[in-house]
Amino acid sequence: MTRPGPPNENLPTVKLVVVGDGGVGKSAITIQFFQKLFVTDYDPTIEDSYIQHTEVDGQWCILDVLDTAGQEEFSAMREQYMRKGDGFLLVYSVTDKQSYENIRHFHTQILRVKDRESYPMLLAANKVDLVAARAVGEEAGRELARQLAAPYIETSAKEPPLNIDAAFHELVRIIRNHPQQEEKQRRRRKFGKCTLL
Amino acid sequence: MLVRGCAGGELRHSLAERTKALAARCHALRSPARADQRSAERRRPRHRKSQTRWYVKQPTWRLWGEERVDGAIYTVYLKKVRYHRPTRSASSESDDEISHLEWETVRVRFVKAGTVERLVEALATDDGELESTYVNVFLATYRSFAECTRVLDLLLRRYEALAAEDVVHTTAVDTSLQHRKTLVACLHVWLDTYPEDFRQPPHHPALQQLLAFTQLHLPGSELHLKVLQKLAIFSAERNGSGVGGGVCLAPGMRLTAHHTSTYRLPHVPHRHFAEQLTRMDMELFKKLVPHQCLGAVWSRRDKDRSHDAATVSATVNQFNAVSFRVISTVLVEPNLKAHERADILASWLDIARELRVLKNFSSLKAIISGLQSNPVYRLRKTWALLQKEKSELFDELARIFSEDNNRWAQRELLMREGTAKFADTVGENDRQLQKLLHERGSPGVSHGTIPYLGTFLTDLTMIDTAIPDTVADGLINFDKRRKEFEVLAQIKLLQGAANAYQLPPDPMFDRWFDSVIVLDDREAYQLSCQIEPPTNPPKERRPKKMNDCNNQGHRKNDSIASTSSSNSSQFYCETDGIVNNAWKRDSLERRASPTRLSHGSSSSSLPSLDVSLSSANSNQKQANGKTSIASPAHANSRSGPDFYIIRVTFESDCAETEGVVLYKSIMLSNNERTPQVIRNAMLKLNLEGDPDGYTLAQVLPDREMLLPSNANVYYAVNTAYNLNFILRPRKPQQDELTNGKVRGKRP
Repeated sequence: MTRPGPPNENLPTVKLVVVGDGGVGKSAITIQFFQKLFVTDYDPTIEDSYIQHTEVDGQWCILDVLDTAGQEEFSAMREQYMRKGDGFLLVYSVTDKQSYENIRHFHTQILRVKDRESYPMLLAANKVDLVAARAVGEEAGRELARQLAAPYIETSAKEPPLNIDAAFHELVRIIRNHPQQEEKQRRRRKFGKCTLL
Repeated sequence: MLVRGCAGGELRHSLAERTKALAARCHALRSPARADQRSAERRRPRHRKSQTRWYVKQPTWRLWGEERVDGAIYTVYLKKVRYHRPTRSASSESDDEISHLEWETVRVRFVKAGTVERLVEALATDDGELESTYVNVFLATYRSFAECTRVLDLLLRRYEALAAEDVVHTTAVDTSLQHRKTLVACLHVWLDTYPEDFRQPPHHPALQQLLAFTQLHLPGSELHLKVLQKLAIFSAERNGSGVGGGVCLAPGMRLTAHHTSTYRLPHVPHRHFAEQLTRMDMELFKKLVPHQCLGAVWSRRDKDRSHDAATVSATVNQFNAVSFRVISTVLVEPNLKAHERADILASWLDIARELRVLKNFSSLKAIISGLQSNPVYRLRKTWALLQKEKSELFDELARIFSEDNNRWAQRELLMREGTAKFADTVGENDRQLQKLLHERGSPGVSHGTIPYLGTFLTDLTMIDTAIPDTVADGLINFDKRRKEFEVLAQIKLLQGAANAYQLPPDPMFDRWFDSVIVLDDREAYQLSCQIEPPTNPPKERRPKKMNDCNNQGHRKNDSIASTSSSNSSQFYCETDGIVNNAWKRDSLERRASPTRLSHGSSSSSLPSLDVSLSSANSNQKQANGKTSIASPAHANSRSGPDFYIIRVTFESDCAETEGVVLYKSIMLSNNERTPQVIRNAMLKLNLEGDPDGYTLAQVLPDREMLLPSNANVYYAVNTAYNLNFILRPRKPQQDELTNGKVRGKRP
């Protein structure tokens, strides 16, 4: 680490949520992104396992990544954690057509939970290293991205990783540039009050 | 699960004790190595963690290095052994120079990685002693790198090799004998702890192999008898009363009478409901096979191997079933007044509060998740009517499952109360929970604990992803298995604790549980919108706004991550207003393909007595509240789409079970034609095949009305009567009737 470290003052926390079917490699993306922190040992139960200070476009922030890999089938709790996210990485595997089809479902669910017409999301076509097993082409991916009005990125968490950092950084950018950011915060506060009383 | 049952509480108890000690050992071993690396990279203090672990830090262990032999890598530690109680001086704690009068340093090695053969050999230490930590880690995790038969084969061959050695070298007889004793002890632990490994129906080859082995080498021994006993149990099970798979379904199928005497929210005994939910969870949790939670099994399984994780799936299904019941009971009667609906919310919160006292974090989270699911959570007017204490209670209970700081709150609570006798932990801001625990004091009976399994599943998935299966030279990475075992040991420990629950079953509760209509997410959302229309107009009407966003997205494409090696074409976003289509297509596709949600719900079909139609007609408001749903529930034309909820029964040629009719509720919207409705019904009823192979008919008081093969069902149904339908396999002679003809005439 030759770069100057993160500034000490209070940084904004950005909550990113990784969603997608089981087996699309969500956990591999998350682990790859955080791996440089693990050194040799890794403990998934530590409270800051998935928190990282990151500099995107000269601005530092704290990335708090929520990946519920392994809990996909607890379908009833999905909306609960979606509510907390500031931005979503929608992951499908290019080797699994069904995971691609199901992206729409996650997309709809997020917009409903957020009660929004658009929300910061990035569509990630994962496992592009598996060229021979590829079942969903780049065009199909881009077409879906166009329909969902989300940017598209191709990723691989295998060594050497492709676009893993880029995906998280781009999502931060999407969140920062999203027009409804302020409105969202205002509403959240309002509704928070409403449930408390 | 006869086998597990006969192993008895004693074993489980001792296992729990053992695993507790093991987890402690594992951790103690790792901690010196950890402390070094932690300082550099981590930013936030993590002292909280060390407080919550089951271990006592042992500064007497020191990492020495690695040792490689053919087929294995060992991690070597130096252990200081005390001879006398040391005087507590400042120097003795930190100083590495140790007086030989007080200390001795012993070299201890642990397998880090190895071939299967080496790993099997390591079941006994170099001196032939039983290394119980290792044995437990090995038996809990070996399935991720070897088959049962292979391990057994290696183990028995190892025994035979040792026995053969005896004949040649008489000098090492003692060690060899000890080695063999240890291997036999391993076989005992294996048979006692993982009897399922040996089931292998129909011929139990591994058990047969073990039998042959014991007959030859250890006739009449305890092991021999144990093998014979297991064989007897397995074959008795095979011949006799096979226990059916569907645990949840069984009670509902058995029901015979008293369909009217059932529970109805919100007027239910909360404590009793919490206990019954706990009883259901406890049965599943005790049956849970921990190693099915391993990443290699659970998160890497595909559809063909789903039975590998059957006990995990059963737990997940129960969790979802509870959530769905929360969602359903809140939404299913659109005509309730807002305060009546708020009473149902309050009632679930009361049940959740009791679950907290019972330390059942699985159903507790399921209820919180149900209340936080979008269709329920968005009902602001209903929530606003909730009493202040209830809102506070909701917030406090929801905080337990906060995802913040890697679910710290939940982990901490589980550590504190996991094996405690009763609930006693509250946050300082949790006013309602403080009050609750104060009121209850310490209960006379102690409770077990049922964890929310999902957190363990994610941890194990992450370990599986982060740590490679093999190290250099393709050796099996056994350190990964040790890591996984830390999580499995916790699960086992809690399973042991779950024995503390004493909860007799209540058939009436089971009947209620099975009778609740399960809505899929589309239905739930539509009902929710009918109860409280969305504040924003539907998105279809505002495509312009979408374009604005798209432009926004497009503009951003110029600023690609400086850290990214990709070029900007990687990010892609176009500006057509296709969203409109996407939205529609989405809903169509989800209708046509089984969504997760309806899959989840399929385990909980709706067995019900054949409330023969006459009674339903005369009494629209039945106690169980089902009739009012099935009755024409015209959607408020002002809000949301028009639809009915209809009930569909499947009638096959098989003989009907006495008076029991299984039906499913499905939603019928105003643009659905017969094939689509049949497809929806088939999905719900778990039927496969071509929808053209079925017919659908509405049941009227005096006859049935067969729906034409391509009718708009919404307009075709007779809404003067209950919307009960029968789905039948198409019979050849019916063909002429299906082309637009209706059997009987419309009234």
